[in-house]
Amino acid sequence: MTDLSVSVSANGHLASQQPLPEAPAKVTVRNLNFYYGEHHALKNINLTLGTNRVTAFIGPSGCGKSTLLRIFNRMYDLYPGQRVTGQLMLDQTNILDPKLDLNLLRARVGMVFQKPTPFPMTIYENIAFGIRLYEKISKSEMDDRVEKALRGGALWNEVKDKLNASGLSLSGGQQQRLCIARTVAVRPEVILFDEPCSALDPISTAKVEELIQELSENYTIAIVTHNMQQAARVSDKTAFMYLGELIEFDDTSKIFTSPTDRRTQDYITGRFG
Amino acid sequence: MAVQSDVIDDAGPYDRAKALSAFKLGDLTFYWITRLSAISVLLILGGIIVSLIVGAFPAMKEYGFSFLWTQRWAPSADPPVLGALGPMYGTLVTSFIAMLIAIPVGLGIAIFLTELCPQWLRRPIGMAVELLAGIPSIIYGMWGFFVLGPFLANTFQPFMIRIFDGVPVLGAIFAGPPSYLSLFNAALILAIMVLPFITSISVDVFKTVPPVLKEAAYGVGCTTWEVVRSVVIPYTRVGIIGGVMLALGRALGETMAVTFIIGNSFRISSSIFAPGTTISAAIASEFAESDGLHQSGLILLGLLLFVLTFFVLAGARLMLLRLEKKAGK
Repeated sequence: MTDLSVSVSANGHLASQQPLPEAPAKVTVRNLNFYYGEHHALKNINLTLGTNRVTAFIGPSGCGKSTLLRIFNRMYDLYPGQRVTGQLMLDQTNILDPKLDLNLLRARVGMVFQKPTPFPMTIYENIAFGIRLYEKISKSEMDDRVEKALRGGALWNEVKDKLNASGLSLSGGQQQRLCIARTVAVRPEVILFDEPCSALDPISTAKVEELIQELSENYTIAIVTHNMQQAARVSDKTAFMYLGELIEFDDTSKIFTSPTDRRTQDYITGRFG
Repeated sequence: MAVQSDVIDDAGPYDRAKALSAFKLGDLTFYWITRLSAISVLLILGGIIVSLIVGAFPAMKEYGFSFLWTQRWAPSADPPVLGALGPMYGTLVTSFIAMLIAIPVGLGIAIFLTELCPQWLRRPIGMAVELLAGIPSIIYGMWGFFVLGPFLANTFQPFMIRIFDGVPVLGAIFAGPPSYLSLFNAALILAIMVLPFITSISVDVFKTVPPVLKEAAYGVGCTTWEVVRSVVIPYTRVGIIGGVMLALGRALGETMAVTFIIGNSFRISSSIFAPGTTISAAIASEFAESDGLHQSGLILLGLLLFVLTFFVLAGARLMLLRLEKKAGK
């Protein structure tokens, strides 16, 4: 416990030791339940994601963190037999409305996955592809947007000379930043990160974490992670989940220094999980 | 521990080298069996090519390269006049039209089955497609002769002929009169026959697309069509082309069904509604009653089909390499 708290307080938000002011809610979750067929995977979740804040979701494998994230952009809709009850609002929009235009929702709520998922096309096209879905713009405007997105993904300097190479030719860390750039390119409001660094080496991880910090100036971010130091480094708020329940949700500094629930304390000190 | 060492002692001194040499013999046998199996393929292929060339030699000597561009086929003339242009034209045209129909339909079925189809409908449709592959080609021939041919001649053909009457080029392709036996009918039957190849291979390769890649595409807001067009098909391109080549190989060589419904006419007509013939149909319908130069000419036709198939498949492979280069792999 002491070990951990020392290492986290040397980094990130915890260094300042002063909680950020409460941000207006961007995503509101009320009494959310989720079922994989008969299996009750999420039980009565209540929380809010603050505008332009980073919210981390931690907890042992199978606790429902990723499931929750996949509800935010209705990704679960792709699979039969999965259903959800409760209320989930993105500003004034009801995300769970069956009549909602999913393509528009996913433009507002972008997602970065555990494994890098570049599309089988060139680096340039990987970015331009998403933009083209929503906007008809000229070639020069597109060039600008692609450059801006790649700069946003902290990748521009590494790829500016090989924009026509395949996205698959990049290294794992670069591919992941390409995916972040692609997500940013369509100008979402919320970005979901599902264990974005679990397939990356430490240097790439540091770059992605830095990027997440920068993005939080303009985007509302939710990140699922198994790495507690990472949660401590990048997030403003942390939610601890266990067996489909939200155990504790509070400022990151509070969760990592003085958690109220016994199970949270056990988890962050490595007693289980 | 103690028990284990007892067992080993009972078995006497353990000769590892001897045990290994027994394995070595087995390994060697295994190696030679697999090697001989592989070599036998080359021997069979070589044997077929040699016997084709030997059989075709008299015709080659008699007609030379003019065999390739002579349209007249008169085996009973004296001396017989034989030219392969008609069957070659028929083979290429029927296969081309068949692929034109089968590729989009086959891919469409595969996309529906993997991306859109509700779970309960998946098995019936999948099984129907596989059953289609199991129907013997003679059945397709009979069905084409008795059912499809008259149907097309009475409905579809007059309709197309009327629409394109007087239009340049297209008017000549869809020219009358309607016929029960025609290149188009044969191509349509071929399309139905090769459909299962394209569909089942496409379904298999579509299933290899990582779900997370599709989710990523849906995640930037793609519709199903956009996901399929920009992610699924590019990702599986090599597999799809493999399936198409297999289907093309089958279409080029298909004999029985085509012989039934193509009309066996060696005259080349611009209209796809006119009777024609293919290489394999010509061989099948004439080989039994042929002798001498006529038979040699038919064998030469067979050799041509062999070469034609080889070049078409080689061309497809070349195209694949180009595509891969272009994708920057």
